[in-house]
Amino acid sequence: MPKVSIIIPTHHRPHFLQRAIASALNAGSDVEVIVVDDASRDDTSSVCRSIAGIKYIRLDHNQGTAGARNVGILASTAQFIAFLDDDDLRLPGSLDLQVAALDRNSAAGFVCGAMIMADQDGAPTAEVLGPTWASGDVFWQLLELDFPVLPLSVVIRKECFSKVGLLNTELQGIDDWDLFVRIAELYPVLVLAEPVGIYRKPTASSGQLSSAQAQHLSRAARHLSCLLELPRVRSLAPKDRDALQSRALNRIADTLLWHAREATNKGSYKFAVNNVVSSLWIAPKRTLTHVTYRNLGPILFNQKLGASNLDH
Amino acid sequence: MPSVSVIITSHDRPALLARAVASAHAAGRDVEVVVVDDASEDKTAEVCRDLESIKYVRIERNQNVAGARNVGILNSTAEFITFLDDDDLRLPDTLDRQASMLQSKPDAGFVFGQALIDDGSGNPPTDYYPRHCPQGDVLAQLLTQNFIPCGSVVFRRSCLFRVGLLDASIPGIDDWDLWIRIASLYPVQAVAQPVMIWRKSSPTSGQGTSHADRMVVLSTRQFQNKWSKIARVRVESDEARQQISRQFSRNMGCHLLVEASRSLSYGRLGEALSNSLIAVRLHPRGTVQTIIGAATRSRQKRAAATITNVSVRETK
Repeated sequence: MPKVSIIIPTHHRPHFLQRAIASALNAGSDVEVIVVDDASRDDTSSVCRSIAGIKYIRLDHNQGTAGARNVGILASTAQFIAFLDDDDLRLPGSLDLQVAALDRNSAAGFVCGAMIMADQDGAPTAEVLGPTWASGDVFWQLLELDFPVLPLSVVIRKECFSKVGLLNTELQGIDDWDLFVRIAELYPVLVLAEPVGIYRKPTASSGQLSSAQAQHLSRAARHLSCLLELPRVRSLAPKDRDALQSRALNRIADTLLWHAREATNKGSYKFAVNNVVSSLWIAPKRTLTHVTYRNLGPILFNQKLGASNLDH
Repeated sequence: MPSVSVIITSHDRPALLARAVASAHAAGRDVEVVVVDDASEDKTAEVCRDLESIKYVRIERNQNVAGARNVGILNSTAEFITFLDDDDLRLPDTLDRQASMLQSKPDAGFVFGQALIDDGSGNPPTDYYPRHCPQGDVLAQLLTQNFIPCGSVVFRRSCLFRVGLLDASIPGIDDWDLWIRIASLYPVQAVAQPVMIWRKSSPTSGQGTSHADRMVVLSTRQFQNKWSKIARVRVESDEARQQISRQFSRNMGCHLLVEASRSLSYGRLGEALSNSLIAVRLHPRGTVQTIIGAATRSRQKRAAATITNVSVRETK
């Protein structure tokens, strides 16, 4: 029986997929690579059938990323589960590293590592994103979105799914966050500083699902109220729970506004407006403060300054 | 390896669980019983500890029935899978029979059977459904009405790798949705004999199925967003698709009116009214047809009664 299954859901992206699969096969000494083709109608199936040493599953009914990952989990015969998106890469030996960590700590639910950011062509940049917190109970940090972790960077003990349930297919784009929060509520989490994968960073125009950021972050804001019903959160005093909620919502708003500013610099105004509007819904006070003092304020001030300069 | 996995999900209702488990064991020679305890806060865990030869899986955070069934599937090992509710019963030897049917027909996706209906009155069940058990390509029929008792189905694990798991976002119709996805790709088999006893929900039993209005709203949305977009449905002629959609609408309207009259008989006026209103709003055409149909039938009945009376009097 293989030690770890790496599940690669894919839909209409065969050109990236081959590299992803190759990296998965290289990522550990005892790996089961499961490619779940989510009802692609292009040459994904012929590409996959030509690759030896993988388990290829073809869904005839499109299930979305979360649904496809769930099917992959069902197909897995290993004790540990890793995920890989079809346009990301796993680093060589990274699965062995994480599996060893889980073997050493039998109580831990999952282990996460750092990720190297890549540009749109998949070329690595010097930007490395990793969890800033130590191993242990990271439930609160995860809940407040203060813990950078992606499906790419984790290896999960499969028994966790029997305790907290599978991925929620209604939460497109944030199903991973929801899962990590639910696991971390019950299990300690291990943190490794080493990079384990290369993440192709989405941009406003890349057509990757993650570029629907405004949508996903709004969904996260809505879903937060469900997560606040988890027993560990409910055990808090109402005051602390409210504070937690507003911290999380403010963080979501900040992220939206940060992306809005990036987008404005690059000239994608539609994306920026979208983000500001979403942010306004989620955290009106925060958004107004931000827009007035940090963005709009300086712009108006500079213009006034410019105008008065002209006068003189 | 066992030939059939029976997945029993349970949430705070241990009273009938032992009976359900025993019935599952008696239904086949080579059965694996997986009991999924969906975060019960009562004695369910204790009850399960006393049960012999089951695989007990405890979910710590409540997942609803569909989510719990998925966890059950994840923890099962047999090639064939069936679900059993914790208050239902499997009839003896029926799993062996259904499993051998699937074995002899390798292309079939699932085999279903009939369910005896226990109405909770304490009397032996006399009614059963479905009256007709179609086989082969049942997609068109299944799209308009769920005539398949959930616990009667034995399906192939391999189907899930083509159609996906249960959709936990549509609790209550998650089984119907799965049968539709399977029936769109595989032929279906049936035994025209009861294979289980299904306990009918009543407004007091607190079962999900007693919320007819919510189920119809959910089904209608699923029909519009998913079922009508299935590849095999899309390639049908406009006329055929319209017919399916009309029949669906008629069945939903009819179902709501039946439930409304049931609610009335339990003295639940509000529920009856809400059911009727939803019927008219979502399926105006189907509802009107049902009402006209019922009215004509009762007039015919009255006419028939009059004729009988007349003839009785005449013979006197």
